[in-house]
Amino acid sequence: MSHTVLRLVVIAGFVFLYAPIVSLVIYSFNESRLVTVWSGFSTKWYGELLRDPQILGAAWISLKVAFLAACLATVLGTLAATALVRHGRFRGQTLLGGLVTAPLVMPEVIIGLSLLLLFVALDNALGWPGGRGLSTIVIAHATFGTAFAVVVIQARMVALDRSVEEAAQDLGARPLRVFFDVTLPGLAPALVAAWLLAFTLSLDDVVIASFVASPGSTTLPMVIFSKVRLGVSPEVNALATLVIATVSILALFSAWLSARRRGAGSGLSG
Amino acid sequence: MSNPFIRIDGVTRTFGEVYAVDDVSLDIQQGELFCLLGGSGSGKSTLLRMLAGFERPTAGRIIIDGRDMTDVPPHARDVNMMFQSYALFPHMSVERNIAYGLHRMGMPKAQIATRVTDMLSLVQMEKLARRKPDQLSGGQRQRVALARALARRPKLLLLDEPLGALDRKLREETQLELKKIQSSLGITFIVVTHDQEEAMTLGDRLGVMNEGRIVQVGAPHEVYEFPQSRFVADFIGTVNLFEGTIAEDRDTDAVIASPEAGIDIRIPHAVTGTAGQPVAVALRPEKIVISRTLPDPYDNVLTGQVTDIVYSGNLSVFHVTLASGKRVRVSRTNRLRAESEGIGAGDAVQLGFTGQSAVVLAS
Repeated sequence: MSHTVLRLVVIAGFVFLYAPIVSLVIYSFNESRLVTVWSGFSTKWYGELLRDPQILGAAWISLKVAFLAACLATVLGTLAATALVRHGRFRGQTLLGGLVTAPLVMPEVIIGLSLLLLFVALDNALGWPGGRGLSTIVIAHATFGTAFAVVVIQARMVALDRSVEEAAQDLGARPLRVFFDVTLPGLAPALVAAWLLAFTLSLDDVVIASFVASPGSTTLPMVIFSKVRLGVSPEVNALATLVIATVSILALFSAWLSARRRGAGSGLSG
Repeated sequence: MSNPFIRIDGVTRTFGEVYAVDDVSLDIQQGELFCLLGGSGSGKSTLLRMLAGFERPTAGRIIIDGRDMTDVPPHARDVNMMFQSYALFPHMSVERNIAYGLHRMGMPKAQIATRVTDMLSLVQMEKLARRKPDQLSGGQRQRVALARALARRPKLLLLDEPLGALDRKLREETQLELKKIQSSLGITFIVVTHDQEEAMTLGDRLGVMNEGRIVQVGAPHEVYEFPQSRFVADFIGTVNLFEGTIAEDRDTDAVIASPEAGIDIRIPHAVTGTAGQPVAVALRPEKIVISRTLPDPYDNVLTGQVTDIVYSGNLSVFHVTLASGKRVRVSRTNRLRAESEGIGAGDAVQLGFTGQSAVVLAS
């Protein structure tokens, strides 16, 4: 009895969460130009999409930005996590921990605005970054991507057995060698997860990008957003479906990775 | 005597206000199997970590084989450690774990292969060379950790609770094996343990630690039979302590007045102390004979009532309450299945012991 109720609640929950997405995916295969009227199956909007240079250009920029920002965020996140977890108490440790993760709770509008002001001021003072464009979006996305990366990597680093690193040291490895031979492989699942997280966050950010992008460097979410303002077109549905597919594949991949690591790890503690 | 192989000279290590290790001096000879024994927080692990180089002494020097190692980092020491958690590299196979330290030494590849094979056969793990640590049992991981630590042929091997994670049967077998490996390789071992039985079985000598200090050093039987303080007597094995004062102290014998025991305890040798000085007489449970009426005369006879009998197969432990309220533990080997003189709870009994087997403790 209670089992049946439980099952119904779960189904209702899934419907609530995923029905909009499923309907979006279904309507992306709609032949009609009217989004709400089903007139038959077609993949023509996908074809339209591939012939739209504006969308293709924006997608390419988004991928470049997300890739670079994710790499930068993972490296910075690893360094910050190492400082926070592995270097004992130092002056300003709490401050660093707080500041590094502040973007998690900071409103995006404020991050975007403050970065815009920073870039303008830098431009006036140093002549760099020389107007807004790809590099300013990458820097902006790396900023909040780092915050998420630190949280993910820090959690893993705390759980790593310190004595494994000491064992490597004891067997003759210098500190840098220990880091690459033992610490990094131990962190690998967290590094992948952090990278993927930063990548997807960058891929769907529209608020911050709007502040720091230039007309020549419009990202994909910005294009979608501007198109939707003129009414939802089936083309946007198709585009959104592709984005969902990409993000789902990445999410599944990272889940599979961490499940595999957990399976291997459980033997260690047993 | 020549210089000792390892000299720990006035080593102190503080963490903030806490003295983890407090002015420890200790000499250890080459080829010795030395056990550091103590409870948790006694400083034994900190001392071991200072020998490995993971902690720096706040004061004092550590000299290994004539070289001052106090400020040498762990990777540059000719000392290896077997960790309590084993600390195997989870992403490397058994052979790569063992080879890791050899690669860091810059040993040629062919030589590494031979050495790894030797180590694998030493710990009987040849068949599992390609396994990852998470595919091994606890006992197998323990062997790999030992092989990895021994592979570089260190001058000194440090073992932190090496058998702590093994079950009792495996632990007993492994103790003997460890001793055999140690004597065949001739490497100096320092073992940290909280298990006094393990320390007695393994060690050529023991150092008992308490609150950051070494309180007694000696061969296992010396430490057990001649403890120098109440702490050591109580920490190693079980002991009955009778508080009292020195009543008479002559050249050939002494008498300790102990209201707690209810008698004047006669000791057949001189004790170091002055008359009236408070002392404790320490007596191991197995050195007392229990009977309803003792068949032979003893120097010292206590009387009391049995309150409890704890049967543990080979032994029975009798808890006897004396007139003073003091509880005494007496153990007896169960030599016969049906004990002819069955003693039950509530029975009045006599406890006999010779003064020779008691130890008088001033501190």
